[in-house]
Amino acid sequence: MIKYILAALACGVIAGYLDNNYGNVLFGSFISNFMFSFSLILLLFVMGFAFGLDKEAMAKIRKTGLKILIFPFSVALGSILGGLVAGLILNINVFASMAISAGFGWYTLAGPFVWNFFGAELGMLGFTVNFLRELLTIATISLTAKIDKYAPIALGGATTMDTTLPIIVRYCGSDTLITAFSSGFTLSIIAPFTIIAIATLK
Amino acid sequence: MTLVGEALIDIIYLFSLTIPLIAGILLGYVLREKKHINLGKVTFGTIIVLIFSLGFSIGSNNELLGSMPKIGLNALVILGLVLFFSVVFFKAARKMVKIE
Repeated sequence: MIKYILAALACGVIAGYLDNNYGNVLFGSFISNFMFSFSLILLLFVMGFAFGLDKEAMAKIRKTGLKILIFPFSVALGSILGGLVAGLILNINVFASMAISAGFGWYTLAGPFVWNFFGAELGMLGFTVNFLRELLTIATISLTAKIDKYAPIALGGATTMDTTLPIIVRYCGSDTLITAFSSGFTLSIIAPFTIIAIATLK
Repeated sequence: MTLVGEALIDIIYLFSLTIPLIAGILLGYVLREKKHINLGKVTFGTIIVLIFSLGFSIGSNNELLGSMPKIGLNALVILGLVLFFSVVFFKAARKMVKIE
């Protein structure tokens, strides 16, 4: 999955570069505006649809109870604090760095959202940070799972409900399934609202 | 346009993105008795199109490409701190509620 995503990103960058320097401006704006928005909306719809179809997904959330919500919120607080400290160290807009961190690894969301509020360069940064978060969670799992069974759930952030879930379960044991899923789900739900809330403070 | 007006339009746009998500959940819930719905390919295809378009926007922005080396370093610093504090807070929370 991740290699196809990287390939699509690389092809997009090359195609965009060629089109901008040698090609048709109208065609370029069609892809960056229409195709982009359309696929984002379709993806949100399809992901919602898959969730609505899944009987077990809803049952899992009911079973876990409210106590388990402390995990995603601790990850959320830790991520945003990390963003704040990083913003101060790097001398960039702290609201932007906090909004970037509030993507919790959901790069297809954080990229466009941060882009929309803070401009292209910070949007790109938001995409990169969150993209690397998912990549790093997958790449380092055999190591982090040994250090602490639950560490990959904190690292994965919002991705632990889909892309990194099967890997986490494999390396950390099947008893982490519910914790990982509910943490990823909660972070996915709160990510857009958190980014909006931080952006309105800027 | 005033800043408040711009912020309001941003918020309306972003909240409008919850409409397809909620619509999807509702439709999925209604159709959940139909067992042979496989969304893997649709999701995969859509992700590829979205990422390609995002890459396209990045590639067609010369200014942005020039700032990439700086972005890379910033990204690693932010990510490092984000992961560090996430794990610390997560561990503290686990100790507090004593879940093993």
